[in-house]
Order: sequence, then C-alpha cells, then structure tokens
Amino acid sequence: MRPAAWLAGAALAGLIAWWAWPRAATVPEAQAAVQRGAHLALPAGPASAASRPQGSPFTDAALRERLLQRERLLQRLERARFTLATYRDQTRYPHESRPIGEHPDQVHPFVPIRESLPLRFPGSKGAVPGVRILTTQDRVFMSGEEAVKVSVTAQDETGRTLPLLITRAVAFDLPDPRQVAGRPQLALDFTGSEGVYSAQFQPSRTAFADFAGTVRLQVTLSQDGRQGVVNFDIVYQPLVPAEWGAISDRVIDGSLDFVVGLNVKRAGRYVVNARVDDAKGEPFALVSFNEELGSGAQTARLRVFGKLLRDGSPAMPLRLRDLQGFLLVPDSFPDRAMLARREGVVYKSGSYPIKSFSDAEWSSEERDRYLAELGKDVSQLEAQLKPPGH
Amino acid sequence: MGQSMSRRFLMVFGAALVAVAGASVAANYSLWVNGRTGGGVAGNYADFTYWGPAGTAAGVNKKAVNWDGYSHISDKNYLVRNALDCFCTGTNWCYVAAHSAGDLMIGYTLAMYGGSSRYKKNATPGSDGSCANSDGTTQAGWNIKWVDVAAGASGGSELANAGDWALSEPLVSDLKTGTARAMYDHNNTRAKMFYLWAGAKGTLYSFVLPGQDDEAVAYHSSGGVSGSGGGSYCNPSDWFCNDLTLGTAATEGGTAKWSNHSVVFRDDAEAYNHYTNGNWQGTVGLVRTDMVNYAK
Repeated sequence: MRPAAWLAGAALAGLIAWWAWPRAATVPEAQAAVQRGAHLALPAGPASAASRPQGSPFTDAALRERLLQRERLLQRLERARFTLATYRDQTRYPHESRPIGEHPDQVHPFVPIRESLPLRFPGSKGAVPGVRILTTQDRVFMSGEEAVKVSVTAQDETGRTLPLLITRAVAFDLPDPRQVAGRPQLALDFTGSEGVYSAQFQPSRTAFADFAGTVRLQVTLSQDGRQGVVNFDIVYQPLVPAEWGAISDRVIDGSLDFVVGLNVKRAGRYVVNARVDDAKGEPFALVSFNEELGSGAQTARLRVFGKLLRDGSPAMPLRLRDLQGFLLVPDSFPDRAMLARREGVVYKSGSYPIKSFSDAEWSSEERDRYLAELGKDVSQLEAQLKPPGH
Repeated sequence: MGQSMSRRFLMVFGAALVAVAGASVAANYSLWVNGRTGGGVAGNYADFTYWGPAGTAAGVNKKAVNWDGYSHISDKNYLVRNALDCFCTGTNWCYVAAHSAGDLMIGYTLAMYGGSSRYKKNATPGSDGSCANSDGTTQAGWNIKWVDVAAGASGGSELANAGDWALSEPLVSDLKTGTARAMYDHNNTRAKMFYLWAGAKGTLYSFVLPGQDDEAVAYHSSGGVSGSGGGSYCNPSDWFCNDLTLGTAATEGGTAKWSNHSVVFRDDAEAYNHYTNGNWQGTVGLVRTDMVNYAK
C-alpha cells in the first residue's frame, strides 16, 4: 500500500473514531452512577422495571446484556491470566531442559507398549465376551538392523491367563501411494510359553530390507475356538542416518551440558533426547535437542539448565540414560530415520557443586515476545473492567 | 509559542498515525485444523467445508487450515506450517482450534517444529496457502496463545488398531494408538495450553473403544491421558471405571494427563458425538462457542 493511502486511511479512521467515541456529557446520571462503580458494572441481579431508576435508558434486556458482557470479560481475563501465568511458569527453564515430572510417559521410553483389546475380527458387531487380549510391542519406529519384539496373551476378566492358539501370523506392507504395494507376505514365527506368545521381526533380514514405510504384523488368534485378530504396526526406514560418538560434559553459561558426539551421514534436522537421573538413580530431567546438523563429525548439546539444577538440587553426579535420536525428514513418510537406541545409563557427569550453576530464569527473544503479548492481553482486559477514572 | 504548539501537535499526531498503522498490521487469527476425511481445499483458508457454513462465527479472523485428512500426518504437515507461518509470525498472533486427527497434526507440529526458525510472513496467502516474507527476518517458533481441541485423536483410536477403518488410508495407520502416542512427545507443547472437549455419545463401537467414547475416539485420547497405550476412562456416574477428571489433574487411578492439557468439557450427559455433520456439530460446536467467546 502507498504511504499516501495509509495516511488517508489513518486520518479517516481517526475521524470516524472521534465521531463514534462515547461522550461523557451524554451519559445519563443513573447510568453514570452505575459506571462509577465499575465499567459495565450492574446491580447483582437483573433489574426489574420497579427497581430500575426512573428515566433509565436501559431495558431489562439491555441490562442483562451488559451484565453478560461483563461476565464474559471476566472470563476472558481469567483465561488470559492463566495463559500468562502458565507460560511464565513453564518457561523458567528452556523447552529443551525440563523436569521429568512434566513428561510422565517419557521417563522409560523403551518399556514396551502394553495394550488390552477385545477378541474380535474387524468389522464385526461385537467382541468375544469375557476375553481380553493383552499385547506388548517394544518399538514402533525403527531403522537399519533393529528388530521389534511383540507378544500376545489372552486373559479372562479376572486376569487369569486363558489358553490361546495362533492360527496365522504374517507381515505385510500397508498401502502407500509412493510405492508398489503387495510384496509377498512373510510368515512370522511365534513361540509360546505359559500362554504368552512372542515373536521378533527384523526387517533388514527379510524381503523388507529395502522397504521404507509401515509393515503390519497381523496375528489371527483362536481362544477356545473363538477367533479374532490383533495388529502390530512398525514404521521402518532402512537408513541409519548417523552413528553415536563420544559423550562428554561441561559446565557452561551456568548450566550443565552433556555433549553427545554424532557422526552424521545424512545432514538434516536431528531430534535427540535423553533422561537425566540423579546419583541415586531417581529420574530428574528430560533433555532434548532439535536442530539442523551438517554431515560429518557433529555434536548435539543436551543441556541441564542451571536453574533447574538449583531448584531441584539433584544428587551429583548425574547419569544420562536412555539416549535416543532420529533424523526428522520434513513432509515425507516415514518422517524419520532412527539412530540405534542406547538403553540404560550411557554417561555419568562430573560432580559439581549445585551452587556453581546459575539461578537465573531462561531468557530469550521468544520468551520476551510471549510475555509481552500475553501480558498485554491481561492489561487490556483489566483496563476494560476498570471503572472510568481509575 | 504558537509554532511550538503546532509542532507538538504534529508530533503527537504523527505518533498516533504510527500507532494506528502499527495496530492495523498486527492482528489475531483463529486457525481451524481439520481431522480425518478433510473436505476443504488445501491452501484455501476461507473454505470451511469440513466444519460447517463459512458464515458462522468461529473466532477472530477465522481461517480453515485444510489438509486432506487422508494422508500421513507428516506428509501434509507443511500445510499447517504454511498457515502458522502466514498468520502466526511477526506481530500476528493465533488461537488454534483442532478436531480429531487435527489434534495429532497440531501436536506433532509443535513438538517437532515448534522451536524451529521461521521467516516472518505477510499474512497474505497465495493460492497454495503460503505467504511471502514480510521483512526477511526470522523468529523462533510461532505466536500461538492457546489451542482448543474437540474430540482429540492425538492418543489414537482403537478403531484404527482393530482394522475397522480402511487400511488404504495412510492416516489410519498413524491413528493406531501405539503409533499415535509414539509419534512425538505429547507433553511438549512449548508451553501452550491445550484445552480439551471430550464427547461420550458413542454406542456403536463401545465394545472396541474402552471407557467412554464419542463413536470414534475414547476418553483416553480426547481427555489427553498420557501413556504409550490407551486406557479406560469414564464419567463419574460409572462406578466400575476410573473417572476422567476435569482440568489438568491426573485421572482417577492416578494416570497423569499430558502436560499443558486441560479437560474443559467431559460429556457427563453423553450428549455429544464425534461428528460435525457439516454444521459445526458435536463437540466442535462447543469449541466453536469457546473460540467465539475467547479468541478475540
């Protein structure tokens, strides 16, 4: 838009605003008296015709509407304050360095997924009564030489294991417009012990070695002659984009950094995270990294933020545990190529006095921007609710 | 004296003009991210086909962030990033509303790309839904105040597990409970609150969906309950099943919700199902009201 048009528009807007602005002199005394109490403030209940001051320009409906408007403003103010308070509190530490309690399902990332399902076939209008199928699956996303372990068992409603027969178990690819579907199905070998059947599937050792996409492990079950199906899906990508390197630690900028070495074969955005336990093995923090890396020798910095250490005072030395990472590939499927999991404690830090770390809250342009905007929202709503002259 | 007054007037007037011009640039937007089945034209932010009549109020400067509701989340995620770049950078701020798999889409976006460097855009989209850079500078992440979610499917659905939904849909494999929950760290919203509306009018698939459901997702998902697999959660009237609590508190039985996830509405009267019916219905209707009241 040209400057002249801007100026003309702004001037016109100013004129309209001047013309439309409410004149104090025209406010009737009764209304002004109400407004002296609070902007949009009204008697507690809807004013009846008898209680309404004589000469009031407001109908009962108008008074109710104003009361409603005030109530809505109060509700907006409550949410605005909550939004601001939540953001401020949450960002005392950076997003990449969090108390582990905020990530309840990330404490033990390699514990198998456990699910309980009814026994049935897809599309059927009901399930076999009194039978639950319990499954475990130790990973969903996998790359290279990784293998997935799955298990299945049947129980009754009291948790008693029921006899179970696996009548069919196959692996096949799910349809994907990017590739020709219909690779030959592979038979899976389940072995059973005390009613629990388990299998392992390693795509790299099968005809799926060069396949990138979703592979479904489909198991047909028979419990006392009553049949059903369970499915386990894995998302496989043959590429292993990087290898882990050495890990070190250092105190820098008032925080403790675990510096994880990477030998990057495919450049791109890498997402790396790990858990930090204290010296007694108590989970303390979740640390993460999400940045672009070039190829070759690189590092991913996993920072335990200084204030998080000061506030939590974990017993030193700290242990870095359950390290995982992947190359995030935007706008594609699979969207990631996994690095090999590193289970258990992979590194122990030095022992540093807690007071050697900074007690300062996280500071960044992002945080300043949010606090300014969310604070402005609160201020504006408070101003709308203030009585005139206050 | 007179000249000084004139100069001061001009200065004040000039400052006011700058303020007016600035204020006219900064704006708030309401972004609506659809779920499975889609329907609106991708990149056309005025096409509310998925939701209901486009003339219906749905928050300040409403925009339909359309994707096909069929492909993998990761395949179509650029459409959401485009919209966030357009309307939620620079001086512009957003409120986001999502339905069903739209919850998985926006959660994935924030967890994976929420801290990435974004070019500030001019909020004037082209036909493909992308916008031009405004001043060539960047910022960390997007400007999002909060997210409203109706019938959120970020915890997946047992209907995807069991094979009841079409195998040919790539999105269905994303919606398998184990896959949806492993896809990203759902606690990582980058300090944005996710307000949740959970419906319970489901009857057709009660033998598949655990606890209360809206006929497509169960409370474990729509109520933001954490964990690597789904669980069974109900209304307080059901004594034989743990309650889905309101707010951010853990469920009865002690399972935590994902961080920054708060249940605003639990369907105790079992009155709301999953579907918009092309007319802002189901829990989407409740979210629409919330957007009208709060997204200003």
